[in-house]
Amino acid sequence: MVDEGARKQNPKLDSDKARASLDRLYDIYRDIASTADEVMQTRCPYKDASSRCTAKFGCRNQFFTKNPQSLPACAGSDMIDYREAWDN
Amino acid sequence: MPITHEGLAREFEFVTRPGERKHILEGIDGTAPILQELAYELIVGNNTDVDRLTQEALAEGFTANELLDNGLLNGMAIVGVKFRDNLIFVPEVLVAARAMKAGMAHIEPILSASGAEPAGIIIMGTVKGDLHDIGKNLCIMMLRGAGFIVHDIGVDSSPQDFIDAAEEHKAHVVGMSALLTTTMPNMGRTIAAFEDMGLRDEVRIMVGGAPVTQDFAEEMGADAYGDNAVDAVDKAKELVKQLAELKSS
Repeated sequence: MVDEGARKQNPKLDSDKARASLDRLYDIYRDIASTADEVMQTRCPYKDASSRCTAKFGCRNQFFTKNPQSLPACAGSDMIDYREAWDN
Repeated sequence: MPITHEGLAREFEFVTRPGERKHILEGIDGTAPILQELAYELIVGNNTDVDRLTQEALAEGFTANELLDNGLLNGMAIVGVKFRDNLIFVPEVLVAARAMKAGMAHIEPILSASGAEPAGIIIMGTVKGDLHDIGKNLCIMMLRGAGFIVHDIGVDSSPQDFIDAAEEHKAHVVGMSALLTTTMPNMGRTIAAFEDMGLRDEVRIMVGGAPVTQDFAEEMGADAYGDNAVDAVDKAKELVKQLAELKSS
């Protein structure tokens, strides 16, 4: 319950409006989580949009390039279960 | 052209459904350049700039509501659309969520000062021997979105790591994640460690991860099992309520 007195003391915030905004943020996150559940059925979640591997563990699908600074490329096929390739 | 920030205008073009375009544009239309820049830096996951811009905008006199509605939320809405349309993937979403956290770090104190209390304090980590963190990170994003304060202790976390964090942050809930069947037993070992330390009544423990089931969670003595990130939020809310009732009785 928002304290009416506290709200009046804070000109930087309309609490009711902020609550509605946070509810909207939660809705956005819920949709994202639901999409993630679907996407992860067929695509490794550690593979970014550039098909680079962001995992902090070893995977047989990681293809390291000559540049030690860059993330390894993902050489995996999304046609097979990517989890089989994970080392850890 | 209502969007004056070049990068944000480019990102907005990824939103193609008329209803979504209208809704997002309403939030951006005519907003100050700094809020448009804030939305853009969130989309590209630049947490350092989101942190800086949020502070600058507050110092310039923008309200927390304006920052949320016209900056951060517009950015995250576009991230959600791009993810749904396979233009970006889980790593990019998590980087944007990290940027959102950087911005929210300056807004949360204003919310608190207005009497809005956090939903609870949660410790989240992946158990000892397990380096897989995507599921945990998605749960953390959801929990933060639901108003929880989440302390992420990372991967390969020992029972003592969970205990230390729970004590340090006076956590209501400890959440453990595991992806491997070989590391799942470490959830049970962590719960046993809480019991050995006499802390089992102080926190509620929930578990999750691809190989974890409700039966396994019960067998280990966990208080709840989260089947997915949304379920984890519902369970965390229940556990915080349970703990409050337990402590008041």
